[in-house]
Amino acid sequence: MFSESVIKELEEVRVKYPDSRSALLPALYIAQSEYGWLSPEAMQAVSSALNIPPAIVKGVSTFYAMFKHKPMGRHLIQLCTNISCMILGAETLLDLLKKRYGIEEGGTTSDERFSLIIMECIGGCDVAPVMLVDNDYYGNLNEEIIVEILEKYK
Amino acid sequence: MITITINGKEIRLEKPVTILEAAEMHGIMIPHFCYHPLLEKWGGCRMCLVEVEKMPKLQTSCTLYVTDGMAVRTESDEISKARKAMLEFVLINHPLDCPFCDKAGECTLQDMTIKYGADGGRFEEGKRKHPENIDDPLIVRNMERCISCTRCVRMCDGVQGASAISMVNRSNRTFVEPFSGGRYNCEYCGNCLTVCPVGAIMSRLHRHAYRPWQVEEEIKTVCSYCGVGCSMILQTRENNIIRVTPKSEIGVNKGILCAKGYFGYGYIQSGKRLTSPLIKRNFKLEPSSWEEALTLVASRLIEIKKKSGGESIGGIASARCTNEENYLFQKLLRAGLGSNNIDSIVRIGFGTAQRYMEDVLGQGATANLISGIPTSEGIIIIGGDPTHINPVLGVQIRDAFRRGAKVFTIGYTPGLERFRTQNISPYSFTETTLLGNILSELLSVINLRGENESFESKIKGFEGTSIEDIEGICRVNRIEFKKMIKDLSDVSSASLVIGPDIIQRSEVRTNLFLLTAIAYILNARVYLLAERPNEQGVIDMGCLPDSLPGGRPLDVESFRRRDEELWGCEIPSKTGLTVLEMVEAANSGSLKGLYIMGENPVFNLPDGSFIKESLKKTEFIVVQDIFMTETAEIADVVLPSLGWAEKEGTYTNLERRIQILRKAIDRQGMEDWRIISEIGERLGLKMPYGSSRDILNEISKVSPLHAGLTYDEIDKGFDLWPYKGTPLRHKLGAGDWPLTNALDSPDNNTLYLFIERHMFLSGTMSRHSTALNSIYQSTGSYGTPYAKISPDVAGRIGLKDGESVTIKTEREQIVLPVKIEKGMPDYAVLLSNNFREKGAMSLLPFKIDPVTKTPAVERCEIKILKREQE
Repeated sequence: MFSESVIKELEEVRVKYPDSRSALLPALYIAQSEYGWLSPEAMQAVSSALNIPPAIVKGVSTFYAMFKHKPMGRHLIQLCTNISCMILGAETLLDLLKKRYGIEEGGTTSDERFSLIIMECIGGCDVAPVMLVDNDYYGNLNEEIIVEILEKYK
Repeated sequence: MITITINGKEIRLEKPVTILEAAEMHGIMIPHFCYHPLLEKWGGCRMCLVEVEKMPKLQTSCTLYVTDGMAVRTESDEISKARKAMLEFVLINHPLDCPFCDKAGECTLQDMTIKYGADGGRFEEGKRKHPENIDDPLIVRNMERCISCTRCVRMCDGVQGASAISMVNRSNRTFVEPFSGGRYNCEYCGNCLTVCPVGAIMSRLHRHAYRPWQVEEEIKTVCSYCGVGCSMILQTRENNIIRVTPKSEIGVNKGILCAKGYFGYGYIQSGKRLTSPLIKRNFKLEPSSWEEALTLVASRLIEIKKKSGGESIGGIASARCTNEENYLFQKLLRAGLGSNNIDSIVRIGFGTAQRYMEDVLGQGATANLISGIPTSEGIIIIGGDPTHINPVLGVQIRDAFRRGAKVFTIGYTPGLERFRTQNISPYSFTETTLLGNILSELLSVINLRGENESFESKIKGFEGTSIEDIEGICRVNRIEFKKMIKDLSDVSSASLVIGPDIIQRSEVRTNLFLLTAIAYILNARVYLLAERPNEQGVIDMGCLPDSLPGGRPLDVESFRRRDEELWGCEIPSKTGLTVLEMVEAANSGSLKGLYIMGENPVFNLPDGSFIKESLKKTEFIVVQDIFMTETAEIADVVLPSLGWAEKEGTYTNLERRIQILRKAIDRQGMEDWRIISEIGERLGLKMPYGSSRDILNEISKVSPLHAGLTYDEIDKGFDLWPYKGTPLRHKLGAGDWPLTNALDSPDNNTLYLFIERHMFLSGTMSRHSTALNSIYQSTGSYGTPYAKISPDVAGRIGLKDGESVTIKTEREQIVLPVKIEKGMPDYAVLLSNNFREKGAMSLLPFKIDPVTKTPAVERCEIKILKREQE
């Protein structure tokens, strides 16, 4: 089910470690970046690529919050609502997202453009409120800036 | 020497163990959930906390090893408080549904809660909800009850090696789950059920059927399925087996079982059991009285003997019957009917290899303890998948690999895929060439020891095929092959595990010679996989055409005289017929009468229709069995016997350990030995046996190997070969049988039929186990049975998984669904030998090897046709 380039990437991480179980986390990242989430088929494919029993793959991947086990939108918004961000208006931003994009916490827009996850502190209190869109980091957000940023992600 | 004190009591220990183990050794119990003697230490449940002097905090006694001078307290107010607090945490989410939980009464959590009293929790929030999962046919998961001790996961991953379940999610949403979330689709060893301390993972076979305190009896016995001979406890109530459990302190299995052992016991209570003797009248088997049936058998046998002589009568013994029954069976044939035509299906695999190796390598050469496998440095496996044929032995190989042993598998062994250093897969039917090369390569790096000179000269004289053939014929990478040889030549303790597939070949003699030579050079322990529980016992009891009880050769007059004196009769000196020779003699008309005990030759010997036609030509067949088998259908008289768990006796396992089978349930009817003695009496023999103990008493006088052996002695520990007796003294043989050359390797794209020795199936017994059939089916949406092919073959023919096809051999054809399985060789179609009219063995044509009299059941070319092509 993986493309050839992914299989090559998986093989590269596999040979880095003496025991293929050690390569499981990087391999799961690779699989997730390919599909946006880890479907049972993706976990099965990681299992056969690394020759690790599928149940072990499932056990490890469900332990970590960074691995998603339901379909995600094309872009993942991770918004912090912890103390610093909350004081500086994260909740207003959250309301804005809900209203403007019709998205719920942990949900996905109906056009599958965005998924939203509320984070506990992503380490940017000095530039709060902050969010991550996919792997990009944005601080000093306000209602205008956040819309401006998100419009770049189609 | 380490000296510690526990609760003020001084304890001396030879080697460092954990505090918990030290305490248990001396009768001090420390409460625990996650610790289990079989499992990796984890320290997760925090129930085993103890105070250790000079250590600031409470310590987990299951992970802390003792050191000299340590002072430990296992009970104090502080400890009790800590345990109570831990229980309170556990009980936050535990539903406390003891009134309808099957575990209540033997639940560790229940016992602990009563002892430490964390009955009133302070947690006001609700308990987590997670519906009970009954998707699986055998295992029910109730994760609300789970206390996350991870015993089941550590058992599955760390001991059994199936790795089918894991802890999924985290925090209080952590549940044990198989990959699918529902069905297990695993090896169904049941070991996770054995170790679960609460009612979270339980068997559906006895769900809500009884409470643990209603168990009336617990009987220690031996499993009836394969040659490992696992010890197990049968729990009974109202004359029914309600549960089977292993026990970690007893037996070769030390607390683990396999699917057949754990779930397969139901056949004994099947409604399809034979209940009354049957006599054929007007081509139909009709019920009769015992008296009539027994008298008929005796009079017909006497009649045939008078008319055509003893040698026109044959007997097929059974590796599913006890030693006592097999002993009596050959006595009946030899003493009562004057015939040495006694053999069994053991010959076509285990038996031939066992006797050849014993001749060349010395008595007891194959009597190696299974517990020796994990301590081997190098293991070679050939001729079958041990995790399927003898699952508990297979687990030992996995264990060996984890401990760092080099494991080499030759051929298709899916169960060891993650547990091997290297897999060498020679192309179909080229194992002989591969073995020849292994021998000559080893010979160039290891010196011969000079123990058996005549065999050594034969080894030196063997013209090993050239190394070019490794690539040319076997299609094995030469560098990989050389790597295996290098590794093998470095190991100081080797084991050789041999399965039946390498013996049922036309190169049987060369294969066995080469395997014996390799075992000799490497000084390897030999393990012969045995599909039936008493294969060795059949041999030791003299159910062979050329051997008397105790492995004494028939053609040595003094041995014959000795037994004649003891039995008070004459034993014919002429070697009898082997099992396939009997079939041929039946076909040619020279064999007139056949007595079959607990065996189904029409199904378990190759070319079933030929066997059936041949046997039909005899004048009289009597079959003794627990089910109506394909063979019983053509019999003149069918005698129902009692099965495993309904009788007492002994089995000799593949490591030649003699073990006691005990009676657990009462059933009307007669044991095989009682039927034989009834017939024996009617033939004029004296068979005054009141129990199987009386028979063992006689065996101990007749067989020098079993001299002085009684049930009490076996219980005392004289269960290992050579017991208290004397094995045969003989000069080591030269393995002097003419070798056959390796045949050419076949073309590409030809498909061959192979027998799948299935982990869940074992022929006529498992056929009647609903539990085993349900898991065989649960691995996919197939009908029963299915044939397995590789994805390549499926692609070539254009088949989908589960599609129904016609499989055609030269003479027969059957319709089956196919299952596509990754990793299978591209020349093979695998079919189990279990289901009526669809057994692989009976489809295979055969050639008899003139020396070993084993059938070569190979090179059966088959075609797979899509249904619409017909």
